[in-house]
Amino acid sequence: MLPYWLLIPAFVIVLATTIYPLAYSFVTSFREWDLTKQRRPDGFVGFDNYLHAASESGFQNSLWVTTIFVVTSVALTLVIAMSLALLLRRKGRMHTFTRIVLILPFAMSPALIGVSYRFMFNPEFGVLAKGLGAVFPALEGMPWLADPNLAMAILVLTDVWHWAPYMTFMCLGGLASIPRETEEAARIDGASYLRIFFGIILPQMKGVLLVTAVLKTIFALKMFDQVVTLTGGGPGTSTETLAFFVFNVGFKWYDMGYASALAWILTAIMMLISIWYVRMLLSDRKMATA
Amino acid sequence: MADVRLVDIEKKYGNFLAVPQLNLTIEDGEFLVLLGPSGCGKTTTMRMIAGLEEITSGDIEIAGKRINDKPPKDRDIAMVFQNYGLYPHMTVRQNIDYPLKLRGVDRAARTRRVQETAEKVELEALLERRPSELSGGQRQRVALARAIVRTPSIFLMDEPLSNLDAKLRVTMRAELKHLHHELGVTTVYVTHDQMEAMTLASRIAIMREGRIVQLDTPKRIYSEPADLFVAGFIGSPSMNLIDGAIAGGVFTAPGVSFPVDQPDRDDVVLGIRPEDLEISTAPDAPVIGKLYALELTGESTLVTLRTGANSVCARGPADHEAEINAPCHFVPKPGARVHLFDRPSGHRLDGLSAKGQTL
Repeated sequence: MLPYWLLIPAFVIVLATTIYPLAYSFVTSFREWDLTKQRRPDGFVGFDNYLHAASESGFQNSLWVTTIFVVTSVALTLVIAMSLALLLRRKGRMHTFTRIVLILPFAMSPALIGVSYRFMFNPEFGVLAKGLGAVFPALEGMPWLADPNLAMAILVLTDVWHWAPYMTFMCLGGLASIPRETEEAARIDGASYLRIFFGIILPQMKGVLLVTAVLKTIFALKMFDQVVTLTGGGPGTSTETLAFFVFNVGFKWYDMGYASALAWILTAIMMLISIWYVRMLLSDRKMATA
Repeated sequence: MADVRLVDIEKKYGNFLAVPQLNLTIEDGEFLVLLGPSGCGKTTTMRMIAGLEEITSGDIEIAGKRINDKPPKDRDIAMVFQNYGLYPHMTVRQNIDYPLKLRGVDRAARTRRVQETAEKVELEALLERRPSELSGGQRQRVALARAIVRTPSIFLMDEPLSNLDAKLRVTMRAELKHLHHELGVTTVYVTHDQMEAMTLASRIAIMREGRIVQLDTPKRIYSEPADLFVAGFIGSPSMNLIDGAIAGGVFTAPGVSFPVDQPDRDDVVLGIRPEDLEISTAPDAPVIGKLYALELTGESTLVTLRTGANSVCARGPADHEAEINAPCHFVPKPGARVHLFDRPSGHRLDGLSAKGQTL
């Protein structure tokens, strides 16, 4: 019996902090609950909260913003991580040093990254705004964070800056597992460097890149911290990501039922992506062993 | 087809001199084996020929042309790797086809040549499989097929059989030999397995610490090893090497005395192969000691005796039986070869030196 008794504390903690809130939010998503009026959830409204999402412009905007953010951020992170990994693969004199430097952006808190980028892109005194203005005079005085497109670009930039190093390490791991002979054989067989990369290295990196892409996608879907500290969702609603929108609905407007429904929509999207990923991975393995 | 000349080749990694001043000519159509213990520079030498490793100084010529600065693909070579180096995401057919595709051979000719090559190495039935679905021997065949499909002028093989089990290694060895006979392509083959070297080579270059210590036919390397290193490296079980001195035309060591045709001197090593000794009861046998071990190998028994600090091994008949620690005598067989080496330098004493040997 003792083992079960010892398990109980951990089980209780998980139940109280994860499973109960999840179940509670799921139930809440089918109820009406205005926190400014009621202390407890009100009556059941069926799928009304979900149906409301389908027609509400705030949600649709955040879905669109999130899609743009996820696609650009994932694509850029992967390309940069893969390129950096190719550069860092060769063990040079700066090997250890570059790796230590590389881990620094990842060690920083995302909220802090948002704050520091807001300073750096301040048109009056921001070091990046001023620096870019000095190099390209056309950019002098550019209202970086006041322009919807530029604000989005900077939001993507902070996220790529934060994640690319970590993903570089994943790619480095993947590259290290590719037998060197396959590249050397291709060199002797007559392949150019580009062909070796696209024809030999990339196909063997498929599994690693798939994992990296899915992880990055899920992290990007949750994008919240930098939105709060860098743009506040603005200008307007141009950087209002789904996670930020859910937060606003729940804790600014106190519409808990609707917020719960939105959170579950986000969860469903992530689950779909995960399932798709597992399928891809399994089919890949089948191809390799069948 | 082509010959390969290495002229004063040198390879340094930082301050470490991996291969110092190597000179070697590989004749057209020859099967040359680079043989040596791990870390002796044999693989580095081959990789320099392939162009996978830059040379620090010296020249490499293939068919009379200096190719130092040419990339691997322009050297007209094909290489078989120890771990095969197959493309895991391609089928066997695509693997064999890849070098042809890269060289812009047209589709019809490619299909025909892949088919022909696959037949040559008995892979026709496996063309649509992936490397992960093949056994070690089959993968090795794919690697071979990929190498021969574009008929290069030189084959480079880097320990191609070392990942196979013992039985398969013997079969593949015979296939390699047959293939070389059939194609007649100049082949450079790296191995640390002396058996592979002996059976496959037209000539063997034995390497140690980046230098070639002996370059000769397998027969000569076996019968006239240039120094103690080669004497101990070639042959299984290895040659008996006994420390002693020559006085009055007789080599003597504790329990050992051999008449030899050499002037008196100290610090001599006498070498005699186990297969050149036989068990005897003669009281005046040149090797006298106590039986230490009997090892039946199937076709014969290895008999080891101890005398003083030395162990001496002889190859006796399979049915030989005796008590451990019983007195044991060996005599040389008629026509046996006795080798003498200078202990300090390791060189052979009867005039043959490690350098400058010719066929």
